[in-house]
Amino acid sequence: MRLLVGALLAALAAGCAGCAADTAGPARAAERFHAALASGRFESACGLLAPKTAEKLPAPGRTCADALREQRLGPGGRPTEVSVWDDEAQVRLEGDTLFLHHFGDGWRVVAAGCAPVRDLPYECGVEN
Amino acid sequence: MRRIKDNALSIAFLVLFLACLAGQAVAGRLDYNERQLVNGGEPVSLLQYAFSSDYAVDVAENWQSEYLQFFLFIMVTVWLVQRGSPESKEPGKEGAESDQEQLVGAHARPGSPAWARAKGLRLRLYSNSLGLTMGVIFLLSWGAQSVAGQAAYNAERLADLRDPVGWGSYVTSPDFWNRSLQNWQSELLAVLSMVVLSIYLRQRGSPESKPVGAPHSATGVEG
Repeated sequence: MRLLVGALLAALAAGCAGCAADTAGPARAAERFHAALASGRFESACGLLAPKTAEKLPAPGRTCADALREQRLGPGGRPTEVSVWDDEAQVRLEGDTLFLHHFGDGWRVVAAGCAPVRDLPYECGVEN
Repeated sequence: MRRIKDNALSIAFLVLFLACLAGQAVAGRLDYNERQLVNGGEPVSLLQYAFSSDYAVDVAENWQSEYLQFFLFIMVTVWLVQRGSPESKEPGKEGAESDQEQLVGAHARPGSPAWARAKGLRLRLYSNSLGLTMGVIFLLSWGAQSVAGQAAYNAERLADLRDPVGWGSYVTSPDFWNRSLQNWQSELLAVLSMVVLSIYLRQRGSPESKPVGAPHSATGVEG
């Protein structure tokens, strides 16, 4: 009986990924990404993108940095809301909404420059 | 050795349960990692997967339905009968039955549990302890399913570039009810099959069946 209750509590703890999640990590990554864009360090910003996003972003013959420069994403500002569920996160900054994924080396930006479309997926300037 | 033989049924099911739980973790991780790679993520280790909401919700949704099945079976068979089924009481015995039939209070025997001899709340509690325990475990597992399910669902929504939802929205969502009802329907079908098939079919030597030669009309007789 104790084993069963313990297992149920473990399941609850495992399931409660959003209850005590680390919100600082994705918020920092989102701020770093926008800080790099704001200071024109597009190569550095590309280094903060998820591999699939960085790969998909540029048109053939262009670099990721070129593509980010052309996106002209506005200023990010400070984080206003962070949601973390398992390895996925959404960070709302004053001027942008970003989606991030947790990789072995930390949080990386999957999508940025995102605007909501009712209950459909956000439309993002940068996405995978 | 005698101890093992006396508890062989429990031990066998415990071993099978643990083997299947581990097997589910291995297979679930492979499936999860396939989805991760498709979405541009990284594969996770078995330990990481075992503590993920994806594994927790899959485990909990099956647990809750099993405990609901037994809770309903235990409680409904107090009041409803099925003529000819070894899973049912004889028609006419519906209800909680007399103290004499239930060996409680003054009718308790020397080997009866101490709480069967008690009166008032203790006796009421013990008289319903099996159903209550199954019901409480069902509610706990269903609660665990809702919490783990919300986490897994929100991770999926975020990966799809959608807003996460709160617990209240999740427990009214199609995902939660689809997970719940798909398990409930199969459990209820299994109970129905057991109740009805055991009227006409036999399994020699099994206490879940009537003796092979027992008439189809015999109710509440176990072999």
